[in-house]
Amino acid sequence: MLKAGAAARRRFVQHLLAEVPLAAGAWSDPRPFDTVYFGGGTPSQLPAEDLAGVLEACRAHLPIAAEAWVSVEVNPEDVTAEACAAWRRLGARTLSLGVQSFSDEALRFLGRRHHARQARAAVQTALDAGFHTVSVDLIFGLPGQASEAWQRDLDAAVALGPHHVSCYQLTIHERTRFGVAAKRGQLVEMPESEQAVLFELTHRRLADAGYAAYEVSNFARTSDHESRHNRKYWDHTPYLGLGPSAHSLAIADAAGSPGARRWWNELRTPRWEARIAAGEPPVGGEEALGPRELATEAVLLGLRTAAGIDLAAFAARYGFDLLAANAALLDRLVADGRLTVESRPGAARLVPTLAGLAVADGLGAAFEVPAVASPV
Amino acid sequence: MDHIRNFCIIAHIDHGKSTLADRLIQRCGAVEAREFRDQILDSMDLERERGITIKANTVSLPYTAKDGRTYELNLIDTPGHVDFSHEVRRSLMSCEGALLVVDASQGVEAQTVANLYLATELGLTVVPVINKIDLPSADVERVMEEIDRDLGLDPFAAIQVSAKLGTGVDDLLEAIVTQLPPPRGDPQAPVRALLFDAQYDAYRGAVLLVRFFDGTLRAGTRVRLMHSDALHKVEEVGFERLKRVPAGQLSAGEVGYVLAGIKSLSGLAIGDTLTEAERPAAEPVPGYREAKPVVFSSIYPMATDDYEDLTKALEKLKLNDASLIYEKDSSAALGFGFRCGFLGLLHLDVVQERLEREYGLSLILSAPSVRYRVVLLDGKEVWVDNPTFYPDAGGIQAVFEPYIKASIMTPERYLGTVMELCRERRGAETTHRFLAAGRMEVVSQLPLAEVLFDFYDRLKSITQGYGSFDYELLDYRLGDLVKVDILVNGEKVDALSQLVHRDFARPRALRYCERLAKTIPRQQFKIAIQGAIGGQIIARTTINPFRKDVTAKCYGGDITRKRKLLEKQKEGKKKMKMVGAVEIPQEAFVAVLRTETDEDED
Repeated sequence: MLKAGAAARRRFVQHLLAEVPLAAGAWSDPRPFDTVYFGGGTPSQLPAEDLAGVLEACRAHLPIAAEAWVSVEVNPEDVTAEACAAWRRLGARTLSLGVQSFSDEALRFLGRRHHARQARAAVQTALDAGFHTVSVDLIFGLPGQASEAWQRDLDAAVALGPHHVSCYQLTIHERTRFGVAAKRGQLVEMPESEQAVLFELTHRRLADAGYAAYEVSNFARTSDHESRHNRKYWDHTPYLGLGPSAHSLAIADAAGSPGARRWWNELRTPRWEARIAAGEPPVGGEEALGPRELATEAVLLGLRTAAGIDLAAFAARYGFDLLAANAALLDRLVADGRLTVESRPGAARLVPTLAGLAVADGLGAAFEVPAVASPV
Repeated sequence: MDHIRNFCIIAHIDHGKSTLADRLIQRCGAVEAREFRDQILDSMDLERERGITIKANTVSLPYTAKDGRTYELNLIDTPGHVDFSHEVRRSLMSCEGALLVVDASQGVEAQTVANLYLATELGLTVVPVINKIDLPSADVERVMEEIDRDLGLDPFAAIQVSAKLGTGVDDLLEAIVTQLPPPRGDPQAPVRALLFDAQYDAYRGAVLLVRFFDGTLRAGTRVRLMHSDALHKVEEVGFERLKRVPAGQLSAGEVGYVLAGIKSLSGLAIGDTLTEAERPAAEPVPGYREAKPVVFSSIYPMATDDYEDLTKALEKLKLNDASLIYEKDSSAALGFGFRCGFLGLLHLDVVQERLEREYGLSLILSAPSVRYRVVLLDGKEVWVDNPTFYPDAGGIQAVFEPYIKASIMTPERYLGTVMELCRERRGAETTHRFLAAGRMEVVSQLPLAEVLFDFYDRLKSITQGYGSFDYELLDYRLGDLVKVDILVNGEKVDALSQLVHRDFARPRALRYCERLAKTIPRQQFKIAIQGAIGGQIIARTTINPFRKDVTAKCYGGDITRKRKLLEKQKEGKKKMKMVGAVEIPQEAFVAVLRTETDEDED
C-alpha cells in the first residue's frame, strides 16, 4: 500500500527493478513462468509504464513465457478507459477490481476511497475495454450485515456480468483497525451461524447466475475464466514473489522424497528497500517443507477447491492412501454430507460439498497425515 | 501409672486443633525451636492445606507440673472425618481424656457435638477448651453459654487459650494433669495392647503404634495379633517423641511403638489387639471392625505415558495407607489404570490429591461405585464393583446393594430438609429424636450408593454447615439397579458406564450427556451423545458441527500461517481421547466424572 507521494513511488519502483536480478540469481527452476500477477496491494497506483518496466525486467532475467498470462489488480477509482488501454498494452488479460461492495455505507465502513457509483462504472469500463477476464472482489460478513444487504451486492455484481467474482468474508485480524475496535467491543464479529447463512447465500446466488465455485471464495463463468495464477498457490506449483512481504515457493524434492522451500520478503517497505540497496535478496524468512508438511498442505488446500483432491496423484506423491488413513473420519464426513468420494475409473477424487467448503479449515485439520517416507 | 495422661484433641474443622497440638509440643520442649514447623503432627502437605487430619499421629511429651512431678503426656491425634470413623474411635479408645476445642468466635458447631458424643460414649473425661481468644471477633461469654447449653459441660471448667500466641497453654497443661484421670491396668497381666495406627519406615518396616491396657512388653518377646492371627517377634519398643526413642519396656497405661520386623503394612489391621504368644490375653480390646473398602473407582493417568509413574506412586502410597487396595484395570477410552477400593469418599479424595500433589500426576477417576452382590439366573453369585464387569441384564436374577445406617445430627430447624434429603436418597425407616435442646438426631437406612454422590456436601449445605453425619454398614438389600452406558456416536464410552437405581437412571444419564455436550468441542460432524440401558436409549444430546470454519483468503503467505496453526491444533489433539472418530478432551471426562451435584452451576 503506497500512501506516500510520487517520490516514494519512484523509489519503490527502482527497488523493485533492482530486486528482479537479485531474486533471479536465487531462482534455479528452469521451467518458464506462464503467469504474471501484479497484485497483493494496489498496483493501479503505479503508472502502467512502471508496471511495464517491471515486467520487462522480469523478462530480461527470468524465464517468462512469451504468452504468459498477465493479471493486474486495480482499485475502481483508478479505472478509466485510458488506464485500461494501457494495461492491455502491458499484456494484461485479467483485470481484477477491488470493488468490495456496491453499497456506500459498506464502503465507508471498510475505509474505501471509492463510491458505489464509481465501482459500477469501473466494472463497466473494464468490461468494455475487452479484457479476457474481468474479476470483481466483494467482501461480506460485515458486522451486523443483513443477508438482504449482501444479496443486493451479489445482485449488483451479477447484473454487471463480470467473468469472475471473488467473495471474501471479512476477517478481523488482531493489530488492524478492526482488530483493535473488536477488542474494545466497538465492533462485534458476525456470529458463525450468520456467517454460514451468508456463505451459503453467496454460493447459491452465484450458482444460479451461472458462476461456478471453484474455490471457497472464487467463482467463474467458465473454467477458462478461473484464475490460472491463484491455482498455483493451491497445488504447489512454484512461484516467485517480488516486493515487500511477497512469498515464494520452490520445489526441492530430495532423495526420493517430496520437499519444498518457501520464503518471504521483508514485510516492511523500508527494510525491504534497505536490503536491496545493500545488494542482498530481501528475504525476511524461510521454511523447509518436508513430505509431511507438503501432504498436510495438499489436504488443506485441496479441500478448499471444488475439484478436491486427486487421490491417485496424492498417493503417488506422498506414498500413502489418504482415505485408508482416515477411514473412520471419512465415514462420518461422507454421512454428514461434507465430503464425497467421486470414483470414476482411474480418477478417484475426494471432493468437498458446499457444506464441506464452508468448514474446509476444520476438515483439513481433522485429517490425519501419517509420517511416512515416500517415493516421489 | 499415675504420671501418665493419655488424651486427644477433638474439634470442628478449623477450630485450631493442630495449632494447639503444636503449642503443647513446644511448651513441653519435645522439639527444639529451630526444628519446629507449624502443625508438626499433620505431617502431610495435604493435611496442612485442608486443615484436617487424615492420618493419626501420636507423640509422648514429658511435662513437669506445678506439683513438681514429671508426667508423661501422650497426645494421640485423631483424624477428622467420617470415612475414618473407625480410626477416630480407636484413637479415642486409647485415651482417658479429651480436650474439646471450641473456636471463640465460631462457637459450638456440628462436629464439636458429634465429637463430644463419641468421647462420652467411650467414657472419656472431656475438658472444654476455648481457642482463638485473641481474635477481635472472639465472644468468650457466648461460647461459654453454648458449652453449657449445647454440650452440657461446665463452662467454668473451660480453659481459655490462644494457641496462636501461646496464651493459656500452661493452664491447659495443668488441667490435663489435674482434670484428666490416669490410665488403669495391670502390668502383671498378659499383654493386651490396641494397635491404633501404623506407619511405614523404609529401614525398619511397619511401626506399630499401640496403647497398652494390660501387661508389660520387652524386646525379644513373641507376640500375636489376635484378629489377623499373625505371630511376630518384638525387636524394639519405645516412645514416639516426634522421633522414636527406644525404651526397655512398655507397660499398662502407656502409649508407644513396637517394631517387630513386619515388612509391610498390608497385613496389619488397625484396631487389632497385640498380646503375648505364650500367655495370650483372654479377650481382645473390644470394638474391632475390619476396615473394608466400600467405595471403588478406577484411576487413569491423563497421559497414557504416565501409567508407569502411577504404578510406582500407588505402590509407595500403599506403604503408608494399608486401607487402600488396587488392581490393574483398563478402559478402551482411557487406557490402562487401576481399580481402587477406598474406605469412603474422603479417602478417595485424599488418595487422589496425594497422587496428584506428591507424585505430580494428572488423573481421571471413574464414577465411584459400591460393591454389588449379583445373583445370576443359574443361582451363582458374583460381586461387582466395576460397571464394566456387570453381567448382562438378561442373566441376572437379583441384585443386592449395601445399605448403611446413617446417623445425622442437625439443629432442629433443619429437621424437615434433612428428612427430605434422606427420602430423596431412598432412605428407609427414617426416624428422629431430640438430643440436647434444639438438636436432633435423624437415623435413616440408606443405600450406600446414594451417599457416594454428594450426600455429605448436600447435608452441609442444607444445614448451613451444622449437620454432621456418621454411618455404619448394615446389610445388603435387594435393589432395582440398572447399568447406564454412555454412547458417543453409537460407541460405548466404557469409563462412563455406571450402575444406578432405575428411578435415577434417566436424570443421571441426561446429566452426563449434557456435561459431555458442554465439554466436547464442536467437530466436523454431528455428534450424538446418548445414555442407554442395554439397547434402550434413555437420554440424548447432540453437538452440532461447525457450519462455517474456513478463512476466506488462502494465497502465498496465508498457507504457511494456516499450516502452522493446524500443526498446533494437532499437537493439542494428542491430548484427546478418540472414541470412534470423535475427539474427546480429557477435561470432558473430568467434567462428567467430577463429584455429582444436583444442579449444574452453569
